[in-house]
Amino acid sequence: MATYSNQCAIVGVGENQRSRKSGTTPLHMALTAARNALEDAGLEAKDLDGIMNYSTGGDSCPSHELATYLGCHPKYVKDISGGGSSTELLIADAVALIEAGMLETVLIYRSMNGSSGVQVGRGYDPNMLQEMLPGGSFIMPYGSASPSQWFGMFANRHMHETGITKEHLGHVCISFYEHAQRNPNAFLNGKPLDMETYLATPDISMPFNIHDCCVELDEANAIIVTSAANAKNCKSKPVFIAGMAPRTTHSHVHYWTQVDEVAADHAAAELYKSAGVKPEDIQVASIYDCFSWVVLRQLESYGFAKRGEVGDFVAAGNIKMGGSLPSNTAGGMLSEGYTHGMNNVLELVRQLRHDYKGTERQVKDCELGIATGWAGPDIAGAMILRN
Amino acid sequence: MTKQTAYEKPIPLKTPDNHEYWDAADRHELKLQKCAACRTFIHPPGPACPTCGSPETEWELLGSDISATVYSYIVSYRPFLPGFQYELPTVITVAALDAAPDVKIMANIIECDPEVVEIGMPLKMTWVDVTDDRALPQWVLNRG
Ligand SMILES: [Zn+2]
Repeated sequence: MATYSNQCAIVGVGENQRSRKSGTTPLHMALTAARNALEDAGLEAKDLDGIMNYSTGGDSCPSHELATYLGCHPKYVKDISGGGSSTELLIADAVALIEAGMLETVLIYRSMNGSSGVQVGRGYDPNMLQEMLPGGSFIMPYGSASPSQWFGMFANRHMHETGITKEHLGHVCISFYEHAQRNPNAFLNGKPLDMETYLATPDISMPFNIHDCCVELDEANAIIVTSAANAKNCKSKPVFIAGMAPRTTHSHVHYWTQVDEVAADHAAAELYKSAGVKPEDIQVASIYDCFSWVVLRQLESYGFAKRGEVGDFVAAGNIKMGGSLPSNTAGGMLSEGYTHGMNNVLELVRQLRHDYKGTERQVKDCELGIATGWAGPDIAGAMILRN
Repeated sequence: MTKQTAYEKPIPLKTPDNHEYWDAADRHELKLQKCAACRTFIHPPGPACPTCGSPETEWELLGSDISATVYSYIVSYRPFLPGFQYELPTVITVAALDAAPDVKIMANIIECDPEVVEIGMPLKMTWVDVTDDRALPQWVLNRG
């Protein structure tokens, strides 16, 4: 078993009020999320000796700036460029630094005006994409510039090979929308979805219609990681980091040349080995859901259903509350909101702390959960948490 | 509806690693990079062979009679880049070359009803002159 297992814990989580138009800057939103996470943990800003952040195309605020306006002076700050799975990556980095004795308590955040500012899903600047992305000149001239198109190329082949149908994608959306109706902070709370409406909605990029795509919003999330020893002094119930596969890759950077493989396929073995558990032991999940199909593909990668049986697995209600693997119980990025995966991790922590005990939102007695991250078919990461 | 006046779509950017490919495309030919050590094709072209890591690469001319099959595809109903608003929906495919199935080339399938496209469907390469001196490889359905 890996040395880090259960040696560190998440002791605080927080967010700001999500909206279509924050009317403020990522710095202001990050400060709110960070203060809420500190309050949740019962810690003060001066207790933080590390702050880390991830952003895409400079859409966030730097850690140093956040530290200054929290009124603290941490000895370590780090800002990385990244999207999905960066939450897991930075948590792994924090664990490693804490385990090495270099840091004690680390705050990790993601803040983005994802609706009113830079919209990831609406494509990128043509010149940026051709010059910066590997092999950009082999995809851009053909109009391929949006994640919906890149991931759709994988989805269509996978659906063709495994018998997944449009209805199966619909079951993912409907399951998560149903969860959002129990979460007053979900952006699509009050807007349930049924199969008839789903199937009648025209595609943006086949096989994805608007319901298959995450809700891009202005929001910030924060997570505090500390050692198991320090966690005893926090006011929250600690959620231990039991296992990790921080970052795996597709075998080729030009991943579109091989759409039968995704980075998540390479994460599962390391993940379960490090935690000493099996997929069937997991009781609650946060599965990265920038698009509906991405959930189906990861259920296969992480061993929750066999290839060819994933569609039936979701159609049978297994990812809904009361199913064998209640997933994205706050509504996920498809209906709660999109902060590149961090909001799904916040929900997993709250489930494992039994914050919703006594309500229909609580996954009863859950002790072991999984969070998966997906930057794309090219990059993935995951972790297992336990209470 | 606004009419298209000039070619507004992105034109492939030539680099030291890829210009042989695009120079050949401008002459309506397919030329692929190949590893001199392990003899596998390298596409898209790069500074070394991804299969064996060898920096010794060469180029092989495959000519103008290029057939392939649809490996995967999407139909895009929204333009995400300039110029694509004029001809929606856009079909984008990754096609496997019949002569070298490990080589997958992304392009549009042009002059084609999106409804008829299927994985495994036969394609033929064509070249579209987009400016006076640039041409873009594209796929059309291969009706035999
Ligand atoms: Zn080679």
